[in-house]
Amino acid sequence: MADEILIKPDLQFVKRIMAAGGQDAKKCYQCDTCSVVCNLSPETSPFPRKEMLQAQWGLKEVVKSPDIWLCHQCSDCTVYCPRGAKPGEVLAVLRQMCIEEYAFPPMLARMVGDYRFLPLLIALPVVLLLLALKITGRLAIPEGDIVFSKMFPWYTIDIIFLGAAGFALFVFAQGVRRYWKDLNTSPWKVRLKGSLISHLIPTLVDIIKHDRFKKCETTFARSINHLMVFFGFVFLGLVTAWAFLKEWVFHQPGPYFIFSPIKLLAMVGTALLLYGIYQIIVARQANADKAGYGTYFDWQLIYVIVAVGVTGLGSWLFRLLGIKILAYPTYFLHLASVFFLFFYAPYTKLAHLVYRTVAMLYARMADRGF
Amino acid sequence: MNANDRKILVVGGGMSGLTAALEAAESGAQVIIAEKEPYLGGRVAQLHRYFPKLCPPTCGLEINFRRIRENPNITFYTMAEVTQVSGSAGNFDVTVTVRPRYVNDRCVACDACAQACPAWRSNDFNYGLDKTKAIYLPYDMAFPQKYVIDASACQEDCGQKCAEACQYDAIDLNMQPQTLNFQVGSIILAGGWDLYDISKVDYLGFGTVKNVITNMQMERLAASNGPTGGKILRPSDNQPPKKVAFVQCAGSRDENHLPYCSYICCMASLKQATYLREQDPEAEIYIFYIDLRTPGRYEQFMWKVRDDEGVKLIRGKVAKVEQEPGTDNVTVTAEDTLGGGKIKMTFDMVVLAVGMVPSTKAKPFPLPLSYTPEGFIIPELLPEGIVAVGTLKNPLDVMKSNEDATGAALKSLISLSRR
Repeated sequence: MADEILIKPDLQFVKRIMAAGGQDAKKCYQCDTCSVVCNLSPETSPFPRKEMLQAQWGLKEVVKSPDIWLCHQCSDCTVYCPRGAKPGEVLAVLRQMCIEEYAFPPMLARMVGDYRFLPLLIALPVVLLLLALKITGRLAIPEGDIVFSKMFPWYTIDIIFLGAAGFALFVFAQGVRRYWKDLNTSPWKVRLKGSLISHLIPTLVDIIKHDRFKKCETTFARSINHLMVFFGFVFLGLVTAWAFLKEWVFHQPGPYFIFSPIKLLAMVGTALLLYGIYQIIVARQANADKAGYGTYFDWQLIYVIVAVGVTGLGSWLFRLLGIKILAYPTYFLHLASVFFLFFYAPYTKLAHLVYRTVAMLYARMADRGF
Repeated sequence: MNANDRKILVVGGGMSGLTAALEAAESGAQVIIAEKEPYLGGRVAQLHRYFPKLCPPTCGLEINFRRIRENPNITFYTMAEVTQVSGSAGNFDVTVTVRPRYVNDRCVACDACAQACPAWRSNDFNYGLDKTKAIYLPYDMAFPQKYVIDASACQEDCGQKCAEACQYDAIDLNMQPQTLNFQVGSIILAGGWDLYDISKVDYLGFGTVKNVITNMQMERLAASNGPTGGKILRPSDNQPPKKVAFVQCAGSRDENHLPYCSYICCMASLKQATYLREQDPEAEIYIFYIDLRTPGRYEQFMWKVRDDEGVKLIRGKVAKVEQEPGTDNVTVTAEDTLGGGKIKMTFDMVVLAVGMVPSTKAKPFPLPLSYTPEGFIIPELLPEGIVAVGTLKNPLDVMKSNEDATGAALKSLISLSRR
């Protein structure tokens, strides 16, 4: 025997995969149709057949495999699977488990993945924001023109949200550090070529253009929908950064003139975000038979994005219409949902933006199909 | 006791139907065979060789045809389909519709008509690999040895030409469909199987990629009475293929197509590998499989073929079949699940090991019977007096179908004697 491998099946792991949406994993009979029909799967050790085996056998290390992130869940494999084992959905569950594996504290990750804890998760930003109102003595609807800073002055916003973002970044940094270390140890250790930076740029360009994502056949529209949401976030991120600069560097706090560039960019961003997420919902329902409806983990992120977009748009509209009684509470909900999005990012499906980027960078450096 | 108590109708004149009919008739029953094709012998007549002994099926068929000719207890109808059944065990009232052959019993199979015939038709006996005239003999050993006119290929006054060419007055262009009525005590269903329409598996390229053929087409290419006279040549340019891939489970074991194992395809491909190796000692054969299923003693046949250095067995399902750009060759993609890595290999020809579908799927028997979700007859739920044989109940090989046919004859006789 050249290489002896000790197989340590973890039955709990298999049960968890099946409970979290990969209930058909055990139907797989390893024919390899999935690996061949997949347009994203590399020539050597292609996925997702081997991941299906690892999932069935309870080989837990599979959640650390970079390959699970090279999958964009096109669902071509699921459509052609002769056994209805739904490899696309199984890999999605493995990615969720990967996010859990590298999130700190793991307890919080488990809670985010479990619908029973949702009220508790929502309660955190609500209580925090109410507390801020209480401390600053602004619990009542403010008098006069609608200016949201009357409710939350800029410093409270900055403290709360820079805090939330800082927390998320810290958790991500820890996760990425551990993930990169695991990627570079057995069994995935391979010789990487080139420098990190020289590969990071083309990886980011690929992500921005969604080049790999566009290779999907069954759910090709997803790549376009995702691109809209993606650029919606990019534009809104730019708007936020701009507003931050204006406030701290140029001392020109909002609200801004309705046709100012910053406002126009915000409108385009919001429109892209809302239209993109709407299309994602429509496509998921239309493709449910072929590609699966998705799990709680998927829908949680979708609804959080919907909440962020709708409350954002709502607070803007109500402000323009001068409906105080609606404008301020909607703005409150907007802040709560944005907090949810930021603070829990390392634990929700949003974490894919970090882990997939890392895995794609690694795959590029390891010369796997890029 | 009534007049029907020794009468059996056998639906289907393939190997199973013939066997059931003969065994019952030789035990004293009166047997009527209704066969929908213009000839007896069914799928077996299309085979080049049987596995595992690699002997030709012709001898067995010839013996059966002689037994039929010599047995006064058997009446058979070709181009005949059962269109209506009523009654119950002991007293079935059966309507059989016989399509016109346009050729009567005076035919001596001299071929003068076909030589005179101006119209052509795709040869379904050879799975479309060649053409015959609109008047044709289904195959050289066809029983009954009579020509037949394909009315859909014979338009307008085309029929006159062959009628004039016939010196025996054997062509009757005014022949009409006949409706026959029979009273029988028992019915044996032996409708056999059809090849799955493999063009439904879009990634296997059948019908769109040149030189992708089915396993039954391979049988015809290898058969001495086939389109190439027994020399295996690929369809696009009639060149002998040097490198051939077999794609196992083409449609079978796939819940999107046939959610069952078709049982015979692994053995059929192993057998066909020997055809190619015999014709060309240099030929390279690759068999792509999920699991090689060679049940029981067939295992030894698998060992024999496996040990041939010209045959390579690769564990991995082919899920992409494409034309090599600029050539007639075929590129297949699979993953070698034992060695790791995707294989993209180009072949001269690709044979799809297509699975079998019970014939009742396309054309249900005109009685409400119980079928499995896949379309197979559930034998336990058949009405009293009706017996099903072989591939109507399960995918099966010829040998086991034959044994089952003997059992069916016996069951049918038992049901008669209970009256």
